[in-house]
Amino acid sequence: MIDAGTPLDSTGFEHSAEAAFRLDEKGRLSQLTAGFAGLLQQPAAHLAGQLLMELTVSSEADALRQYLRRAAAGEVVACEAQLLVQGQPLPVLLTLLPAAEGHAAGVYGVVRKELASSTNSLLLEREKHLSVIFDNIADVTFVLRREEDGQFRFMFVNKAFEQTTGVSAARVVGSLVPEVIPEPSLSMVLEHYNTALRTMKSVVWQEVSDYPNGRKTAEVSITPVLEPDGTCCQLVGIVHDLTAQKEVEADLQTSNERFQYALRATTDALYDWNVAANTLFWGEGFNTLFGYELKQNPTPFSTWADAVEEAEHQRVVAGLVQTAFNTANTFWQQEYKFLRADGSWAVVFDRGYILRDEHGHPVRMIGAMQDITARKEAEEKQLLLADRLGKQNADLQQFAYIVSHNLRAPLANALGYSNLLLRVDKASPVFDESLNHLRTSIQQLDGVLADVNGILAIRDQQGSYRPEPVALAAVCRQALTGLEKQLRQCGGQLHCSIAEQLQVQGSRAYFHSIFHNLISNAIKYRSDARPLQISIEASVAADEHVTIEVWDNGSGFDQEKEGEDVFQLYRRFHPDKPGRGIGLFLVKSHVESMNGRISVQSKVGIGTHFTLEF
Amino acid sequence: MRIETYLIDDDSLSIYLTEQLLRAEGFSNLICTFVSATKALQQLVQNKEKTVPQVVFLDLNMPVMNGWQFLEALEPYTDELQGRCQIYILTSSLALSDMEKAKQYELVAGLIHKPIDSEEIKAIQARLQEQQG
Repeated sequence: MIDAGTPLDSTGFEHSAEAAFRLDEKGRLSQLTAGFAGLLQQPAAHLAGQLLMELTVSSEADALRQYLRRAAAGEVVACEAQLLVQGQPLPVLLTLLPAAEGHAAGVYGVVRKELASSTNSLLLEREKHLSVIFDNIADVTFVLRREEDGQFRFMFVNKAFEQTTGVSAARVVGSLVPEVIPEPSLSMVLEHYNTALRTMKSVVWQEVSDYPNGRKTAEVSITPVLEPDGTCCQLVGIVHDLTAQKEVEADLQTSNERFQYALRATTDALYDWNVAANTLFWGEGFNTLFGYELKQNPTPFSTWADAVEEAEHQRVVAGLVQTAFNTANTFWQQEYKFLRADGSWAVVFDRGYILRDEHGHPVRMIGAMQDITARKEAEEKQLLLADRLGKQNADLQQFAYIVSHNLRAPLANALGYSNLLLRVDKASPVFDESLNHLRTSIQQLDGVLADVNGILAIRDQQGSYRPEPVALAAVCRQALTGLEKQLRQCGGQLHCSIAEQLQVQGSRAYFHSIFHNLISNAIKYRSDARPLQISIEASVAADEHVTIEVWDNGSGFDQEKEGEDVFQLYRRFHPDKPGRGIGLFLVKSHVESMNGRISVQSKVGIGTHFTLEF
Repeated sequence: MRIETYLIDDDSLSIYLTEQLLRAEGFSNLICTFVSATKALQQLVQNKEKTVPQVVFLDLNMPVMNGWQFLEALEPYTDELQGRCQIYILTSSLALSDMEKAKQYELVAGLIHKPIDSEEIKAIQARLQEQQG
């Protein structure tokens, strides 16, 4: 390919018989051919440096100056002019070409003598029009001629050729195709040219070429020009530059692909809320995430709103409308329950971006619904775990309390008595009593250790606890056997109205312990004012949950003051009655081991009512 | 020696022990024992015009009214009792927090871990004689 900067062979130029010249930026002749000098009938050396204006008829100077300026600016200009030859005007056809690209380096001129003036003027007029048309066409246009030897030579190129390829017209016109187009394109275009000539039909193809100003994608069409005799030796080529269009198409495709991949990569349900139409356009995620098969898309706003859980409507749906219409916020987000197609609930995290017009009114909201059900469940599990750990920690503190007080108290007594025994007279009654007390203290110590052991046993079994169906009425009767004597002695009565067939999933031993402790407590803390009445009932709710209730009309306790403390280890409320304060703690531990709940209501002087729920 | 002494403790074994140890040291022959702090408080407040115990041994862990609640209930009479009545907390608990808490009450003269020994009893006697002398 020829380069815009390659200088023409000046020696060749000056000896050319063709009448041509080069003007510098001031319009002076800087180079001229022998042909031109001959036309003016003056020696070339004499002409060099002269202004072209002074060699033409002065009346046409203004018009010529215009043509030169246009040519210098990069246009190919064809015009009529009258040269002064020995003082006489000589009409010529002048073709002006820009000398070099990019700077006001001057103008080349090619001069031809006019033949018959009338036809020539018409031709010239037509050539002018064509020139204007060609130079203003955005498509690259060129004319090729097939030489006798089968070579193709550029005869004409328009301005768009230069703009598109970056190669100046002056470098191309007159050159053979192989001098302009390199391989591998060369072979291909020559084949197309020959095809056009052979078939006498237009050939169209697309090509990608690298030019000095970048890679171009173009659609090329080559059309053979038929002579009146049916032969053809000229081709007109038009190159339509598709680069910009191709780039836009490619960009669009890339961005579309990227969006498609993003849509596929995300497991979220993307949506686009058209506020004016109040419709939602859904991404694929909506169907896959929630199992729906949308019949239409976009859907009405209500498709979404109706699937939000009823109880959360106010917060979520009304909240969104409030945010969109009554605030200037651009972001909205909410966590809520959303109905799946199969009727189950998904926990959803929804986040949207609100597009607003210049008045701040909402136009659209683009957002994504994320299914966080699994994460939520994990969180809840974690909370449960933390809760259980907290409980265990509280239990440990209880144990610390046992060690610090309930072990220490009998131990301190034992220590004190062993000291005292050394100092009192062995024959005195104090010695005997102290010895007795020492034994009692040590027994108490043993009792506390036994309690701790028992409590630890329940906790150990919790992990391996296997529920079995337990017949409540039978277990209750068995628990009562050991207490019947005490009950009779105090004149108390017990009514158990548990249905014989009622069975509860749990541990027989635990239920035995529960009944035993509750009944013996009722006997122990009876009221002296009235004969003891205990009643035990059990009921089954529609959801199969079992409730066991134990009433007594004993002395009761001040519930406002003690509250749920009754279930705490070593907490006692009846200083006048013997007891270690472990019974209710065991009852609660057993109930909770079987995933049940226990609560108590009590009034001083009226009685106590335990409720156990499983 | 005539030192009127209150012994407040819900544990009868502990009361008997402390009483015998005090007697063995010749601490006092005027010991009133209470298994209920409520009753002790009642008697103390009732008789405070005429006579108050010079020494009170107070257990902390008791049902219904514990040692701290007893001290709270005496707060309004602090000025009246100051100098006439010394309270010693006598507890089996070794918790350090009890020591700190005890300092909040002006009437509390000291905290003793059970069982009380003769050195501690002698120290209390010495202190009482110092005040009287």
